[in-house]
Amino acid sequence: MATTAEGFDIHQDHGHDTHDHADHKPGFFARWFMSTNHKDIGTMYLIFAIIAGIVGGAISGIMRVELQEPGIQYLQWWAEFMGGGNDLNTALHMWNVFITAHGLIMVFFMVMPAMIGGFGNWFVPLMIGAPDMAFPRMNNVSFWLTVAGFVSLLFSLFVPGGTGPGAGTGWTVYAPLSTSGSVGPAVDFAIFSLHLAGAGSILGATNFITTIFNMRAPGMTLHKMPLFVWSVLVTAFLLLLALPVLAAAITMLLTDRNFGTTFFNPAGGGDPVLYQHLFWFFGHPEVYIMILPGFGMISQIIATFSKKPVFGYLGMAYAMVAIGVVGFIVWAHHMYTVGLDVNTKMYFTAATMVIAVPTGVKIFSWIATMWGGSLSFKSPMVWSMGFIFLFTVGGVTGVVLANGGIDDNLHDTYYVVAHFHYVLSMGAVFSMFAGFYYWFPKMSGRMHSEFLSHIHFWTFFVGVNVIFFPQHFLGMQGMPRRYPDYPEAYHFWHQISSYGYYIMAGSMLFFFVNILYALVAGKKAEANPWGEGATTLEWTLPSPPPYHQFETLPVITDAHDYHDHRPATA
Amino acid sequence: MAGKANHDYHILEPDIWPLIGSIAALTFTSGMVLSFHPDLFGQSGQIVLGLGLAGLIATFFMWFRNIVIEAQRGDHTPVVQLHLRYGMILFIASEVMFFVGWFWSFFDFALFPAALEYDHATGATTSLFGTEGAVAAFIPEGMEVLDPFALPLLNTLILLCSGTTVTWAHHALIHGDREGLKQGLWATVALGVLFSAIQAYEYSAAPFGFGGNTYSSAFYMATGFHGFHVLIGTIFLAVCLYRAYLGHFTPRQHFGFEAAAWYWHFVDVVWLFLFVAVYVWGGWGAEYH
Amino acid sequence: MGQRDTRMKKLILAVVAAGLAAFAPLSVAAQDAAPAAPVAAEAPAATTAAAPADTAAPAAEASSYTPMAPTKGKGMPTSYEDDPIKSLTFQDQYSANGEYALWMHDVILMPVITAISLLVLGLLLYTVVRFNRRANPVASKTTHNTMIEVVWTILPVIILVIIAVPSITLLARQYETPPADAVTIKATGYQWYWGYTYPDHGEIEVISNMADEAAAAKAGEPYQLAVDNRMVVPAGVPLRIQTTASDVIHAFAVPSLWFKMDAVPGRLNEKLLTIKEPGVYYGQCSELCGARHGYMPIAIEALPPAEFAAWVKAQGGSMPGEAEAAPAPAAPAPAADPAPATAG
Ligand code: HEA
Ligand code: HEA
Ligand code: CUA
Ligand SMILES: [Cu+2]
Repeated sequence: MATTAEGFDIHQDHGHDTHDHADHKPGFFARWFMSTNHKDIGTMYLIFAIIAGIVGGAISGIMRVELQEPGIQYLQWWAEFMGGGNDLNTALHMWNVFITAHGLIMVFFMVMPAMIGGFGNWFVPLMIGAPDMAFPRMNNVSFWLTVAGFVSLLFSLFVPGGTGPGAGTGWTVYAPLSTSGSVGPAVDFAIFSLHLAGAGSILGATNFITTIFNMRAPGMTLHKMPLFVWSVLVTAFLLLLALPVLAAAITMLLTDRNFGTTFFNPAGGGDPVLYQHLFWFFGHPEVYIMILPGFGMISQIIATFSKKPVFGYLGMAYAMVAIGVVGFIVWAHHMYTVGLDVNTKMYFTAATMVIAVPTGVKIFSWIATMWGGSLSFKSPMVWSMGFIFLFTVGGVTGVVLANGGIDDNLHDTYYVVAHFHYVLSMGAVFSMFAGFYYWFPKMSGRMHSEFLSHIHFWTFFVGVNVIFFPQHFLGMQGMPRRYPDYPEAYHFWHQISSYGYYIMAGSMLFFFVNILYALVAGKKAEANPWGEGATTLEWTLPSPPPYHQFETLPVITDAHDYHDHRPATA
Repeated sequence: MAGKANHDYHILEPDIWPLIGSIAALTFTSGMVLSFHPDLFGQSGQIVLGLGLAGLIATFFMWFRNIVIEAQRGDHTPVVQLHLRYGMILFIASEVMFFVGWFWSFFDFALFPAALEYDHATGATTSLFGTEGAVAAFIPEGMEVLDPFALPLLNTLILLCSGTTVTWAHHALIHGDREGLKQGLWATVALGVLFSAIQAYEYSAAPFGFGGNTYSSAFYMATGFHGFHVLIGTIFLAVCLYRAYLGHFTPRQHFGFEAAAWYWHFVDVVWLFLFVAVYVWGGWGAEYH
Repeated sequence: MGQRDTRMKKLILAVVAAGLAAFAPLSVAAQDAAPAAPVAAEAPAATTAAAPADTAAPAAEASSYTPMAPTKGKGMPTSYEDDPIKSLTFQDQYSANGEYALWMHDVILMPVITAISLLVLGLLLYTVVRFNRRANPVASKTTHNTMIEVVWTILPVIILVIIAVPSITLLARQYETPPADAVTIKATGYQWYWGYTYPDHGEIEVISNMADEAAAAKAGEPYQLAVDNRMVVPAGVPLRIQTTASDVIHAFAVPSLWFKMDAVPGRLNEKLLTIKEPGVYYGQCSELCGARHGYMPIAIEALPPAEFAAWVKAQGGSMPGEAEAAPAPAAPAPAADPAPATAG
């Protein structure tokens, strides 16, 4: 597939750079509302993701406050606040609305936009030595469609959706609760929210794949590509192949709701379980979509701060490919209790556990990268090390759940909630913060405070563990998920979990203060603030990079080790 | 806009249409929701829907217009053309997965049928779930389906034929025979329109209504989305025909045409699957209308 | 249709409530002005003599059945205050498969995942100490070691195979087909209560709502797990549990029996369950089913077979083989199909 290198060598002799032109920026409106610039679009994605993260995080705060004590404390108030009735059913419905909004926002509007839209947009072109994305205009429509999806989800909160305002179906939107079980337009708005965001992601995926296949700098073969680029490539394929199936499934929800089809309605022979198959055929790849770019970032960061090329580069790249491929054939492990037959359940048990193998390769290769290295514990590095440990904890509980017979007890309990927050709210989020602190100086041209980011790390680490570790206990004791209220026996650990939230929330202040501090008073960042370990192409550019970079394409020569992606003359 | 770029990539000017298109898309989907619930929103849905649709059409028009202008201006260097090829292939791949979703539900219903009762007079379906001795069948007892070897077979031939006419146009284009290009495209567009007309007639004359049971749900949604793609493909080819009259396309560079042809072949292949699976296999053994 | 459904269901709920008004008005009604509550309060007349006996007035009517008092810590979650250690792990198991699964978790899974997590943590800490910038100023350039890469690929495979063997065994056991004489109980999920029917016992039907806080306290049962009418079954006897639902998906789940099966409209799921000893075993609906998903608990009361037979009698049912008892007018008030509108 390495077709790009040839044909561009002619440009090598245009020696002098053209930075004077390269930094010419359009006016404010054109720059931010009509953007065709991958870095500006990446910035918008990151800002959008931070806003969504604040909203999703605030909703989880509402949830943790409610769960701190048994009984219904505040939901009645929220029901009235959102324009619903004053009765218990509306209040309880608000719970379902909150968890649905929290799940959807965190997944579709926080993690995905941050990792793929934000960091992917910013650094895939920079790392492969390309001047921009392959389809700059389509890049922009991807972003605005994501915003449109978010707005559609917000609309849904203010219209009827069953026993109160908003869509209360859970992020999985299972039929028939989402069809005959939710009268009113809220679920329609929520479904279209996924259509819009999904369309944006599919376009984004084609854009990334094309960019990575066609725009690598001369000499950068696939096997010389930084691992972050590999991770985005695999992720883009997962998006491209998984999202359209979700689109079909939720279109069926719409027609069942509004046009009398019976895909999921037993009255006409339909089957609610079919929806679950279609959803999880998308949904399981989706969870790897949320973590693979994180894997990529961790690889760059660990190598940088170990001053050592990443260990087992090829194994790392193909482990991600393997995770992506196997990720498509394990979906029914989310459906162990729907009444699968025994052979199906055995198959999905075995297939699911297989994913632990390539994931283990990655974990151990990261540690091996550190082994023998000369480690400096800058903030991106501590976040990455936190990631490795906490993702492992989340991953191994996934292996427990993978056993169909064990999942019979744990399914839809807080054990599952604990599992997926360890891989998401710690795995994915830790990798995002790691990537953020790693690249913030490059993106903004300013240094953040290492002191504040370390405090942010330690307090966040404590906070999220206090939130989510006790949830394992709750789950094993039988506490079901998606409950606003619970028997007294679960009180203690729920209370601890809620206390953890306050620690975490306090911790986030350090993050926001740090950004503000850096933007206002941060030291100017050098081209490469991280030293000799940082070998990828983005560190050869000034911080921030010019508006148009690589107007003369860099050339990757064979003389270099394939982990060193710097051009010959940089 | 770009400085002296020493590369062949296409660095674009800022453009307003992505933003307008997204607003239009949100308006369109919101209009759909409003029109689903006239009890709450009255007739406002249609208006919003119309506005959104207009915005979307305008966006598509301007977007592709810009691409054509850029192509004519020579912005589409060989590497940019390669981008476009990748983009089109990947887009079609995602479309394939979209249809996988519809075929998945079709096969689920066909292979694991439920017990249903169909009232021919009213077209109503009743579930026999839990009824002693009820027999499961994909096509409920008493329901008639379309005879695959009547109009559907004709439509199959029409689409296959259109696949050859589009190839004729392509060969003509490659050999610099512009008249042949136009004739081939005229024929293809005409066959596409004919297909859609026959499909519309089939729907109106079908012995079963929309929805109500799994067969008619899967049938109408799968063939309906295919029909929608035929429409898009026909428009795409018609645009190429118009461009042919404007003198666009050269024997060496004509990706716009090729993309339309690829898309058309994709639509064709989906139909073959639909014909074999839904019409022939799915209706096997049932009463034909 | 949906709305009519809901109204219909509310009506039915009202009837249910009325039927049980003597002792246990609809649980949640106390917190909420659910339409059922006033009806229940105002219509004591509807109370049929056949309403199942309650704890307050045992054996008042035809029945000699008294709901069993639950044993603290058995068949229910344990709070941290009661037993910090027990509150960290699974509930004690009262079925053979549950014991096997618990063994598998405690002896295989838990040690393995703890060891892996600690190994990763240990390696990380070791690198921190041994390879920090000061301890190791010059980084090595090693990027490959085929041997170790093979090891860390093969070792996990072996571990997974070790996990897979009991895992597959567990699945096979869970899927044993119930013997022909197994007692069939069909649990139907409704928004938001459970209905239990006993096809082998003269179609007894039990409608089970969550008990309100006062009733639960009075009966000495945990609130939100206690119900007004329990699903009564014989202990030590194979049970064929069937689940289905009338509106949306629910899930029939009892943690202390390692049992969870979705109740899906249009489907009838079936699974074998043998409860080892008499007792009360609580569970909760475990699939999001709308507003009161959190308020449709499950309580299974396992009785010695003889007492179960007595309970069946008291419900107006008959034991299999016995002459069919007269059609049971004595079943709880709403013996009529509780959700006729949906099935069509
Ligand atoms: C980033 C997201 C993410 C990731 C990476 C994973 C990773 C995994 N998940 Fe998770 N999962 C979710 C997000 C994620 N999951 C979510 C959101 C849900 C709930 C959805 C919902 O219902 O709402 C869920 C639910 C879920 C279930 C269903 C539970 C239920 O509903 O009953 C299962 C069951 O098999 C499962 C399994 C796994 C497994 C086996 C992995 C594996 O990929 C993990 C592999 C990693 C390791 C194992 C650790 C590192 C490996 C080593 C150190 C090597 C040695 C290890 C061994 C030999 C074991 N997950
Ligand atoms: C990525 C996904 C993600 C993340 C990060 C979180 C974060 C949190 N979640 Fe969430 N959660 C889900 C995904 C996520 N969750 C999903 C899918 C469900 C299931 C929903 C359902 O049942 O349908 C769920 C359900 C869920 C429940 C169960 C509800 C129930 O079943 O009744 C609870 C309860 O405590 C909970 C709590 C929390 C808390 C306290 C956090 C805290 O950690 C939140 C703290 C906030 C942050 C960590 C965000 C900070 C980030 C930014 C501000 C952006 C930064 C951006 C850059 C650096 C670019 N979540
Ligand atoms: Cu019934 Cu949840
Ligand atoms: Cu999964």
